[in-house]
This record gives sequence, C-alpha cells and structure tokens, in this order.
Amino acid sequence: MVGTRHSSTNLRRTLFVCAGLFLLFVLAFLISSILGAQRLSFDGALCALTGKSNCSLSAEERAILFDIRVPRVLLAGAVGTCLAAAGAAYQALLRNPLAEPYLLGVSNGAAVGTMAALVFFGAHEWSRPVMAFAGAIVATFLVYRLARGRAGATPERLILAGVIVTTFLSSAIVFITTVMDATRIRSFTFWLLGDLSGTTSNLLAVAFAAAAVGVIALVMNARALNLMMLGERDAFDLGVEVSRVRLIVFAAASLLVGASVAASGSVGYVGLVVPHLVRLSFGSDNRLVIPAAAIAGATFVIVADTLARTVIAPRELPVGAITALIGAPLFVYLLRRGASSV
Amino acid sequence: MRALASAVNPSLRPSPKGRGRKRRLAGALQILVCALLLALPLACSRTETKQTSNSPTHEVTDEAGRRVTLPAKIDRIVSLAPNLTEIVYAVGAGDRLVGRTSYCDYPPQAKAVTEVGDTLHPSVERIIALKPQLVLVSTASQLENFTRQLDEQKIAVYVTNPQSLDQVFASIENLGQLFGTSEVAAKLVGDLRRRASAVDHATATLKPVRVFYQVSDQPLYTIGHDAYLTDLIKRAGGISVTADVPTAFPRFSDEAALASKPDAIILPTGGSMGNANSTVAPALKTSPAAVNGHVYKINDDLVSRPAPRLVDGLEQLARALHPEAFK
Amino acid sequence: MLEARNITINYDSRIAVKDVSLRVRPAKVISIIGPNGAGKSTLLRALNGNVRPTVGEVILDEQPLQTYARRVVGQRVAVVAQEADVRFPVTVFEFVLGGRYASANVTAWGWESDRDIELAQNAIAETQLIGFESRLLNELSGGERQRAVLARALATEAKIFLLDEPTANLDLAHQATMLRLIRSRCDTTDSAAVVVTHDVNLAAEFSNEVMLMKDGRTVAYGSPAEVLSEQLLKKVFDLHVLVDAHPVSGAPRITPVHEMKSVPPASAGGSIDQ
Repeated sequence: MVGTRHSSTNLRRTLFVCAGLFLLFVLAFLISSILGAQRLSFDGALCALTGKSNCSLSAEERAILFDIRVPRVLLAGAVGTCLAAAGAAYQALLRNPLAEPYLLGVSNGAAVGTMAALVFFGAHEWSRPVMAFAGAIVATFLVYRLARGRAGATPERLILAGVIVTTFLSSAIVFITTVMDATRIRSFTFWLLGDLSGTTSNLLAVAFAAAAVGVIALVMNARALNLMMLGERDAFDLGVEVSRVRLIVFAAASLLVGASVAASGSVGYVGLVVPHLVRLSFGSDNRLVIPAAAIAGATFVIVADTLARTVIAPRELPVGAITALIGAPLFVYLLRRGASSV
Repeated sequence: MRALASAVNPSLRPSPKGRGRKRRLAGALQILVCALLLALPLACSRTETKQTSNSPTHEVTDEAGRRVTLPAKIDRIVSLAPNLTEIVYAVGAGDRLVGRTSYCDYPPQAKAVTEVGDTLHPSVERIIALKPQLVLVSTASQLENFTRQLDEQKIAVYVTNPQSLDQVFASIENLGQLFGTSEVAAKLVGDLRRRASAVDHATATLKPVRVFYQVSDQPLYTIGHDAYLTDLIKRAGGISVTADVPTAFPRFSDEAALASKPDAIILPTGGSMGNANSTVAPALKTSPAAVNGHVYKINDDLVSRPAPRLVDGLEQLARALHPEAFK
Repeated sequence: MLEARNITINYDSRIAVKDVSLRVRPAKVISIIGPNGAGKSTLLRALNGNVRPTVGEVILDEQPLQTYARRVVGQRVAVVAQEADVRFPVTVFEFVLGGRYASANVTAWGWESDRDIELAQNAIAETQLIGFESRLLNELSGGERQRAVLARALATEAKIFLLDEPTANLDLAHQATMLRLIRSRCDTTDSAAVVVTHDVNLAAEFSNEVMLMKDGRTVAYGSPAEVLSEQLLKKVFDLHVLVDAHPVSGAPRITPVHEMKSVPPASAGGSIDQ
C-alpha cells in the first residue's frame, strides 16, 4: 500500500472506529440469527430479536431462534473475538504479521489439551477449557523458543517453528484418536476443523469470560506492544518491562485461544485475516488494532458460521473450512507481498 | 474503509482534555459494556416451548439404559440412522416418519421424508421445526452434543444401537412396542428368526470356509474381533481369517493379508457405497480365493446396516460360501 | 550521572568486557573507539541495563541501576542503536512519538498528551525530518531511518544518550549534523552522551573524552589529544596512522597511511606535516 497516509491515532478515532465496527457486528448478529437451516419469517424473527412479545412466531420457531441459534451466533462471536485478538497479540509480540494461533500450532496445542481432557476426564466439563489453556501455553512456549533468533522471529523462522509445532501436535492428536473408539473419531475430525454446534451454556460463559479478560489484558498492554513490535531491545531501552509484558501477553493470548478451542475446535486463519485487514485500514497502533480486531473478529466468524450452516443445509460444513477458504489465499497473497510493505 | 479513516480527518492533536487515567477507565469500561451487551440476549434466551401435553405419558428405558418419557401414542418420529429408518418402516410405522438423515434411502418411500442432516451432525433447528415426539438415535457420539439441546426442548430421545442379529430382533420388538405395532413386529421377527435358523441348520455340518472380509481396498481395512460381521460370517458357514484381531475395523497390513491365504473374499460394495471397494486389494490378488474366482460382491447396505435386511445379507453370504447347500 | 565501576561482562562464554570504568558527566561527550570485537557495544548496553555485568556495577544518579524501574531508566537514558527493522506499517511520527512512553502518566492504554506531540514535533524538526511525518518507516532510506531513531531518542527528554554507531548509514552532511546536534544538546541542556563509533575523526572533533578499547580492556581513556596518538592507535588497530591537527578546528586529525614503503618514523607526540 504505497502512499497510505496514517497519522497518530487518538482516542476519538479509536472510539469512532470501534463504534462503527460494533454496528457492523450488531447487523451481522441480527442477520445471522434470522438465517439458518430452518427458514424463519424475516419480520417475525426481527421482531422477536428486538424484544417485542407479540410476534408471529410459533413456539417452535421461538425455540429455534433463542435456544439454538442465538447461543450459537453468540459463541461464534466470542470465538471470533478471542482468535482475532490473540492473533493481533502474537503478531505484535513475535514481530511478524504472519503469526497466527492456528498456523503457529497454538490451536493444535489447545486441541490436544481438550482431547486429553475428553478422553481422560470426560465427566468433568471444566477440565476442557483448563487443559486447552495448558495446551495452548505449552505450544506457545515451544514456538517462541524455536522461532527466536538473534534478530527476533523472522518470517521464515516463524513459519518453520509453526510447522514443526503444528505437525508434532497433529501427530499427538492422531495418537489420541487411536485410543478412542471408532464412532468418536469421525465427530472429532469434524470438531478439529471448527464446530460451533455443541454449545453448552457453560462453555459459552467460559468463552465470554475469557474473551473479556483476555482482551482487556491485551488492551492494557497495547501501548507497550506498540514498542515491542519494533524490537524487544528497542522496547527495553524505551522503558518497557519487556519480560513482564511478554508473560502477560502470552498468557492472555493462550487463554483466548484455549477458551475458543475448548468451545469450538480450532477455527483457523481468523487471527491472520482480521488483524491484518484492521491494520491495512487503520494503521498498526495496537491501542486501536486490538479492540477493533476483537469486534471485527466476532463479525467475521459469525458470517463464516452462517455460511457453514446454510450452504448445504440441513448438513453442515465445519466453520474452519470456510475461514480457511477465505484465509489461505489471503495468506499466500501476504507472503508474496513480503508482508512488510503494506 | 480507508475513506472512512481519512474521513475522520487524522488530526495531530488528541481530543479530550481528560487525564490519562480517565481515558484508560473509559477504554476498559467500553469493552466491558460490549461484553455485557453480548451476554444480555443469553439471559433472556430460555423460552417456554413444549408445554407438557395433556395426553398420557409413560416412562421407558431405552437400550442405553436411559429413562425416557414418551406419550402413549407416537405420531411423529425422526430417525437419525439409516438402519433405524429401515426398522421403523419394517414395523409398520413408516407413515409416521417425519424426519430422516440424508443417508436414509431404504425403503424408497423414505426418500420423500424431510431431511434433517447427517447422522453425526443433524440440524437441531430442523428437528425442532418438525415437532417430533420421538427422535431415534444410534451412535454414542450423538449423545454428547445435541441430545442435551433436544432435552431442553422436551423432545424425547430414544437410543437403540443393535450390534448383532439378535440385537436387531430385540430392537424390532422394542420399537414395535413403542409404536403400538407389536403384532407386525412379532410377525416380522418370527419370519426373520425362521430364515436365520434355516441358514444355521444348513451350515451347521459344513466345514467353515476361510473368509477375508474386505471393508476397503486402499487403505486395506477388514473386520476384527469386535465387529458383528465376524459373527455373521460364522453363522453363514465361514470363518473370518481376522476373527482374532482386536477392535472392530482394524487397518490391516498387506503382508498379513497375503499370509492369511483366504479361500473366499467378500467385497461389500454397491448400495450407498457406489463403486467403491469393487476390486480385490493388490495384496490379495494372489490368494487362493482370487485365483479360484471365489470373490463375492455383496450389497453393502445389506451387511453394514443392523436392520431386517441383515438377514438377507446372512442368506447371501451363506449362499456365496456354500452354493451346494442352497439349491 | 551515570557511571560504570570496574565492570566485567561475560558474554557468550567469553569475557567481552574486562574491568572497565567509565564516568558520564553533564555536558560531556565520551567516544568509545576500538577494533571490532573490542567490547564497545557490550559496554554500551551495560550502561542502560540491557546487559548485566558479571563483576562490578553500573550506578545511575547515585544508585545501582538494578534498583530502578525500567520506566525510570527510560526517562533518564535514551539509546540510539542501529536502525530498526520494522515489518509493520508505522509512520515516522508514530515512531518518534514512541519515545514518550517512559514519561507517560499512564503507560497502559493512555494516549499522548499535547506536550508529547510537541516534543515529538520538535525532535523531528531538529533531525531535519519535517515533511516525513506521514511516511512509513520502511519506505525511508537507511540514513533517514537513522535520523528517525535519533529523533525518537531526542523526544524522550532523557539527559543521557547512548549512541551505537549513529553515523553508520549517514551521508557526509548528515554525519556532521547528527553529532553537532548531540553536541549542542549536551551543551545547552547539560545532557551527556556516550558514542560508540568507528569514525575516529568525528570522535576527535566532537568528544570531550575518548576511550580506546581492545579485547575488552581500556587501553587509554582521556582527552582526544591524549588518546589519539600514533603509538596508541597503531597498538590497538595495528595500522600506521598520521596524526596532525585539523586545519580549522585544531582537533586531532587521524589519517591512515597505506603505503608500506615510505613510512616516516613516528616522532614522539605527533608532528604537524606541512
């Protein structure tokens, strides 16, 4: 993007952008709640969603709307927020616009944790997000150590580290599936690609809580991240408590990825596409990028999930397939542009 | 989006005169408000749908040991597995089927019924819209995800997962009882038992044929100790060369397949499988079975769906392995 | 202000700096020169806490460096290192404004104040980058980027500057401008600077003190005239040089001698050839 003019971001601009994105999100939320495998009347659904009581919806249609669809759309939003914010954080911390939870293998780490929880502690629902978080932390740690060279994480080292960690963890996943019985394997394969249909209100609550805590933690460190994006040594010289910020940001990002994977499997490319589009449009200041990516990420996954559950209705595609279809070509495009002269 | 950005006229002077702390609070507050707004619909989402009907209900225990509350008269059924659909029609309740998976294709009348998705990922929305009184479920993995959602909508879920010929008979009888068609079910079971016994008698004195049952050619999969087909083959007068291999559908090595030297090979193909698995795997091309032409194709739907047609499958297997006994 | 007391630094399993002492005083510029691997950059990094000395300590404003929070150190010591390798779209103005982080009331999410903006603008003016504010950092040439790094350091309002090869990518005009800027900053605001450089002539011209290092040790430490002698330079760089006085400023002028045949015998104390 030669000739793009940016200037210093200020509070008013940030609020304006976030408000605009939030409106977009609300629009996506409304439309996605109305669309689905089962046709609902547009007026009736819109009326019910805005809280009125005398709408022309049957009891079953109300049930579909509020008990099945709305929770699912909310979960899609929470997952999108978690993954987009985590992606923005990884990119800033690893100083690379191509860093992303899925590509780095962090999603796989969380998936291994979740699967281990299901196989060994199946009865306790809380074990899933907890072990997903643990898996995400371990994977993050591995990638960081592997990718770190003298000059920080260059794109090549990062992709290499990500490939190593991802493939290693994929093997772990395959190993665990052999311990499982045959009927579960198929539903796991689907889940691994992103499955938003198994919402429980507990997991939804966890996803929300994680999104709120994680995003707030990241936003609190946004200014420090701006400096760390230019180099850890530079940031240190300018007064940033580098090791503390690194710890908090990694922990927050792992929390976000862990919660999202525990709730819905690994949805890829969200952390790549959304922060990048936000940066392209509004600049790299993390004080704006992180909240904006959080909101835009929610919208992105909501739209992808709506496609996933309506394109071959009544059957479903895994939502990760849709995000990959959009994200992978974009990733190739970014790679070819060198991802530096945007 | 860039137009939007530049429209906000990037001014170099920051706007509000607040102190840094106020701004930081504003920011955190803004995010919290967003999170709360998102959570709001959740709080109001539990709706009242299925009011308890005034028709009498009774409790049964399904084949997974779950207690299920059912109305006395069941008029609307959804089946989430092809074999269960076949059983529903076989016991005479086919006209009450309102929902099926995309793979339920037998009997042909079933194809006119509304589709609700596939076995592992049915569309809960469609199921709710069909207002069923009973949903028939077969595999355990379905139980985890969406049965909870159906429970919340007060839609009864009945698990039946026959994994052997005798279990199929029991399932037919149970469902017949559920749907009030016990006489039809009993008659059907009687017929099926007679036919099965006939096969048993015919093959009782014959020397079992060594059979390799090829589930897929590449990669090579076969049946193992835990598959009901192993037992079916035994009844049909054969002995699966992989009868002692653990698990139900093991991936088999080419060398082991070659070394097993079966005298007959069964290729389940056709039906919903189409042309898949219609050729013998390369490792078995030199086996006695292939060399002597004792390779038998059988319609996959007859052997992989635990339903009344399983007996057809049994008969065809027996006829293939021992042609001289079934003139 | 800032002092290194007998520090020894072990780095990558070898001893990078051996028993070096340095004293930074207001309005003084110290240059550190020496061959590659002499430990100059390591010493510089120790002065702001980037590297920890194995023996000895660094004292900032009468207290050990470790006792300060990073932010406080960032307010008092600014670093001008090799130009940043930036892979994100960052404008020059945003980059320079980053220097205000340490002085911020709220570092978490707060935005810059009017004063921060003003200081950044001044720094940009001083480094002759006016007109570059909206340009992306990685669109600039190496020299322009280096000036942006200096501008950021100036914007911090720190009193102590640590510069590592600040003139490496600059053209002739800007080399002089940069050091002149640092010199005037030190003189007008009682700031101090420690400059690691390969350019011995610039060191001679602009510094109050010069430290000559080799293999991690201090070979000489004193005024430019004392340190920049033919013997010492030959000893450290293994190179014949001619030292005379700059015709205009009178500062020592060092000229390497490349011809091996007609090397004039080194006369004690240097000689003025003319």
